[in-house]
Amino acid sequence: MAAATTEAVMEALRGVQDPEIHRDIVSLGMVKNLAVEDGKVSFTVELTTPACPLKDKIEGDCKSALAGVEGVKDLEISFGAQVRGSKVGAGQTDLLPTVKNLVLVASGKGGVGKSTVAANLAVALKMHGATTGLLDADIYGPSIPILMGVREEPRKVAVNGGYKLGPPIAHGLPVMSIGFFLEPEQAVIWRGPMLGKALNQLMGDVHWGELDYLIVDMPPGTGDIQITFSQQLKVSGAVLVATPQQVALADVIRAKSMFDKVMIPIVGLIENMSYFICDGCGKSHEIFSRGGAVRAAERFKIPFLGEIPIVSSIREWGDKGVPILVREPESEVSKIFLEIAAKLAGQLSVAAETAKSGQSLKIVSS
Amino acid sequence: MEKPVPVEINHVRAEGKIRITWDDGHVGVYPQEYLRGYCPCALCQGHDAALGKKFISVPDAKLREIRTVGNYAVEFLWHDGHSTGIYNYEYLRYLCPCSQCKQVGNES
Ligand SMILES: Nc1ncnc2c1ncn2[C@@H]1O[C@H](COP(=O)(O)OP(=O)(O)OP(=O)(O)O)[C@@H](O)[C@H]1O
Ligand SMILES: [Mg+2]
Ligand SMILES: [Zn+2]
Ligand SMILES: [Zn+2]
Repeated sequence: MAAATTEAVMEALRGVQDPEIHRDIVSLGMVKNLAVEDGKVSFTVELTTPACPLKDKIEGDCKSALAGVEGVKDLEISFGAQVRGSKVGAGQTDLLPTVKNLVLVASGKGGVGKSTVAANLAVALKMHGATTGLLDADIYGPSIPILMGVREEPRKVAVNGGYKLGPPIAHGLPVMSIGFFLEPEQAVIWRGPMLGKALNQLMGDVHWGELDYLIVDMPPGTGDIQITFSQQLKVSGAVLVATPQQVALADVIRAKSMFDKVMIPIVGLIENMSYFICDGCGKSHEIFSRGGAVRAAERFKIPFLGEIPIVSSIREWGDKGVPILVREPESEVSKIFLEIAAKLAGQLSVAAETAKSGQSLKIVSS
Repeated sequence: MEKPVPVEINHVRAEGKIRITWDDGHVGVYPQEYLRGYCPCALCQGHDAALGKKFISVPDAKLREIRTVGNYAVEFLWHDGHSTGIYNYEYLRYLCPCSQCKQVGNES
């Protein structure tokens, strides 16, 4: 029997697709450290996110692809992860160059659980092993400091000869809130043309360090600040949160059309307070309009990331500054958050490929 | 992506023209006076005019600089200091003066 060659192994691996990006793992550069010696094959698959929902599938596909290669006696596949950047924005200066993926959590309407979802998604991504930060951009009602139990103010850190603001750390995540900077008499600068400048300065002043993901809790609605964000920051995409009652499609439509206008891709839709897990019997009870978000997602071709039930401990612990994922990591709802975060990370990996292949605008003069 | 986006905007200074290459392969050449004339800002178009219907003649308009705005628009800086017009990609494409686009555009 002929010995296996590196070429033959590579060729076989070209038949394995990344299930989300739909391209083969060799041309995506995900196969690393390939060694072929005396029929012993080993390599690392570098996933595009540690929260990869499809690791097992990729592993299985690699095994079956290599089963057909002559002379492979032993196979060792290990996994690593290198989160890829997915921010779009032609020619803009990037105010947050050390942040690979910036995700806006938004909704057409207030009170749907954006802040709760943003906080728990950030915690979930961190639990999956990604370096994650959380930014509260809700100028109308900053609530992340409460939800995350942040008690300190940002501290001054020396960076490159100057000073920047280091975000306080809560439950292992760097957390920044626009609320730290809001003085009542300053409120006026958070609208109109000053808003852009103020945001710009805030962004430039914060020292996040290297982040795989920065989750941004947006103010409700589709007004100025959302537009300004897209103008000033390179954003990977927006996640829309809706509740079944108000998936009076109109809210999703408004949010979508606003993000379309500024060309920010919508990377997912989440239905919150979707159904009810009874404290007494532990069974789930339907809410009459459950499933509206799935239909909206289908209709607008937005990836549907999942349904979050109403659980009273979400609110109780949120009020005490402890995200449910930290408090009850093993609970049903925590598993749902982890799953949603993994799906989101998957969608961002797809977006990263699109961002790279989509040519960016070149402005030249001749 | 359904809507075309520009991949290159070339300011051909010697000819006073702006050549825009789109990701769907379309190429349009815009004279600078034409682009200036259809400036979409409220100062130029007024508040109630339908966008792109009113042409303001600025015969010696000279383009100084082109800048991107977010990932959906560009702004043009003119020699006389005017710079308040934000041309989103859709509008820019709508303005394309090539014969192919104008035929379609004039119908409506
Ligand atoms: N799945 C859930 N189960 C139970 N309570 C929830 C759930 N999601 C959110 N809540 C509660 O609903 C209330 C509103 O949630 P949250 O503040 O996250 O919404 P929001 O969309 O950020 O609101 P705003 O528009 O005011 O910023 C909070 O008290 C929160 O604890
Ligand atoms: Mg909120
Ligand atoms: Zn003007
Ligand atoms: Zn044309």
